[in-house]
Amino acid sequence: MNILLLLVPISIVLLGIAIGAFVWAVRRGQFDDLDTPAIDILRDDPAPLRTQDDGDRDAD
Amino acid sequence: MAVAASLAASSTASRADCAHCGATLAGDAVAQGNEAFCCSGCAAAATWIHQAALDDYYQLRTVPAGRVDPASADFGAWDRDVVLAEHSRIVPGGREITVLTDAMRCAACAWLIDRALRRHPGVLDAGANAVTGRVVIAWDPARVTLSTLMSRLNALGYRPWLATGEAREQAKRKERRRWLLRLGVAGLGAVQAMMFAEALYLDTAQQMPIATRDFFRWITFLVSTPVVFYAGWPFLEGMWNELRGRRIGMDTLIAGSTLLAYFASVVETVRGGVHVWYDAAVMFVLLLLVARMFEQRARGIASAQVDALARARPALATREDREGRPQQIPVGELLVGDVVRVAAGEAVPADGILLDASSSFDEALITGESAPVRREPGDQALAGSICREQSARLRLTRIGADTRLSELTRLVEHAQGSRPQLARAAERVAGGFLVVLLLCAVATWAWWRAHDPARAFEVTLALLVVSCPCALSLAIPTALTVAHGTLARMGVLGLRGDALSTLARVDRVILDKTGTLSSGGPQLDSAQAFEGFETDAALAIAAALERDSTHPLAQAFTGIDTPHVAQQVRTVPGQGIEGRIDGQEWRLGRADFAAGDADDGALWLGHGGRAVARFTVREALRDDAREAVSALREAGLKVELCSGDASVAVARFARQVGIDDAHARQTPEQKLALVRERQAQGDVVVMVGDGLNDAPVLAGADASLAMAEGATLAQRAADFVVTSPSLLRIPQAIDLARRAQRVVRQNLAWALGYNLLAIPLAATGHVTPWIAALGMAGSSLLVTLNALRLGRGATTSRRRA
Repeated sequence: MNILLLLVPISIVLLGIAIGAFVWAVRRGQFDDLDTPAIDILRDDPAPLRTQDDGDRDAD
Repeated sequence: MAVAASLAASSTASRADCAHCGATLAGDAVAQGNEAFCCSGCAAAATWIHQAALDDYYQLRTVPAGRVDPASADFGAWDRDVVLAEHSRIVPGGREITVLTDAMRCAACAWLIDRALRRHPGVLDAGANAVTGRVVIAWDPARVTLSTLMSRLNALGYRPWLATGEAREQAKRKERRRWLLRLGVAGLGAVQAMMFAEALYLDTAQQMPIATRDFFRWITFLVSTPVVFYAGWPFLEGMWNELRGRRIGMDTLIAGSTLLAYFASVVETVRGGVHVWYDAAVMFVLLLLVARMFEQRARGIASAQVDALARARPALATREDREGRPQQIPVGELLVGDVVRVAAGEAVPADGILLDASSSFDEALITGESAPVRREPGDQALAGSICREQSARLRLTRIGADTRLSELTRLVEHAQGSRPQLARAAERVAGGFLVVLLLCAVATWAWWRAHDPARAFEVTLALLVVSCPCALSLAIPTALTVAHGTLARMGVLGLRGDALSTLARVDRVILDKTGTLSSGGPQLDSAQAFEGFETDAALAIAAALERDSTHPLAQAFTGIDTPHVAQQVRTVPGQGIEGRIDGQEWRLGRADFAAGDADDGALWLGHGGRAVARFTVREALRDDAREAVSALREAGLKVELCSGDASVAVARFARQVGIDDAHARQTPEQKLALVRERQAQGDVVVMVGDGLNDAPVLAGADASLAMAEGATLAQRAADFVVTSPSLLRIPQAIDLARRAQRVVRQNLAWALGYNLLAIPLAATGHVTPWIAALGMAGSSLLVTLNALRLGRGATTSRRRA
């Protein structure tokens, strides 16, 4: 049972890391919008095509 | 009248929809490739989207886009330092601003805005949120001006407005993030604590060494403490407030149960007792926090829509300095007594007295008057009204939070902030329940103390845990919040929560005509030409004259193609419009103004003394009015039409949408009397209206819906505001209300039944604490899942619509 003395603290450390990561993500605004990103994965984002009329716009 | 027929025929022949905004195409449709657009604005937006390879937008969207207003607004003022200082903040590499836009309708719009802005050089980051209608843009002012980006947004059909200021936006964001952090801590901590508790539960044969068991208990204590005191803080704070106010409510019930389970566990941990209940404590916090989050979210969506009022307030005002020179300043710097200038088409920044010349103001947002109101010098002009025809000078009388507009905003916010009556009823139930429960617990403890003192504490605690009012406290709020959230997503905002239950019982619907069944805008009805003039030629001249007019009647002519260009166009307030076309003077307006005849209510075209053509306009029917009426009938409701308009128009409308029961020429009092009469017959009446005159009847009906384009006063009197342009939302809302009512009943029945079963079992010592915790969690989960069904069903009905 002595292994518990190692495993349980490890799980606590992992919990701490998980909470830390969550706090970091929230602070960075990762959860500010939960609706829009959902459809991002539905489509690839192709490179912008350049047309004749488009040429006069600045390059990104 | 022959032209009327041909007009109707042409509109049915080309009954295709605009490829961009989905509006029915009129005669002046712009064809491009194999697609057609309703106006040049939509066509330009679609071309841009196509060239930027963002065509996916058209596949992703579930709702058609808003109509693009081709008139380009000037955003130059947004680049000024005063605006940037108040509305944006400095981020690494540039500045960040939050703007509102009203046309975002689904996630695809947000996707499009994201992509469109990010392509722009100088934009650091862009994020649009379709739920709150906000766009956050970070840009480098050295490389691109804010006004350029705003023009881009405007050209795509998303007209930007300045939000209520950076400080308030930031506070909102912080609040939301704090809730998310609490939820995250509760989720992660609770799962971990329950895992450790599992280890203790699985030791059914009590074989675990005492040292190991205590080690686990202390670890669980460590993990659950932040969950109870950090994540559960809103409940603890709520309990403190309730106790200070000497009442027992939901928060006391929740925090009381949590603290009881937590401290009992601490006591048992210290003294080495048989059981601990940390898992029960963390479970309460987690589940109830999730329910609260739902509630907050639904309210957040509703309040984001109130910002519609905020955007009526312009960010900048033109003030006259001492020498009378105009000077642009932020609205926040205005003082009472200042003289400001308001150009035609601009919103009035603060309440004031009109100086110099008379002008007309569009007060639709504040009073619901759809026609502009004339104001003479000395009259009051209200903040948020839009100056028409002529620019005006005002001496300010009330500013900032004192204005009528701010007053209205506060009222709406207050209405939304108040807790629904049904939820208050739940609080009363909770209070009573708590008293009964405490009596039971005391009796149980006394009985066991007398007969088996060793088990007294354990049994009493098991009783308290198993009967945890979690399910009861979740039963109503979860159903209500999910239902309101779903309604908000559909475009129906609930202003009073308890109205949902009335809406579920409704059996008669009374519809108003103007603004409800009709879209409120004028439509050309008939055109008649005299003196050998062709009607088409007369129409073309009228359209040219009205082209740049902001008058509501001008809308009737927007669908007409014209080869002419009018010059020296001048609006004569209250009379009409005059201008020069091909060197000839033309007048369009009242008969006495344009043709020198007696005014007959129609619109005349002439040279001042001679009449050339006569036009009549009528209201346009909403696209899906017919469908909505038949859907209401299918739902088993009686439908009536009640309008203040003349009987001919009302009868025609009733015929068009298929209503047999129509009442015309009704005053607000008569409308209210009609509702009272129906109520006396035993019907539960829902009223749908929009105008100022509907406010009393909306307040008098059992439940009421106001259309969003209507009067603010009408909306204040109503229980729901329909922000979606589709009338189909009304039958859908009634359907959802009925389903919500069923779910509430099921939930309450389950929670009470469960407690009736569990309490006697627990009191007689048949429930071990772990069964108690499991039963409590299970019943809470069941109730929550049951409520969540409300959200699912509506999503499909929304797609169908």
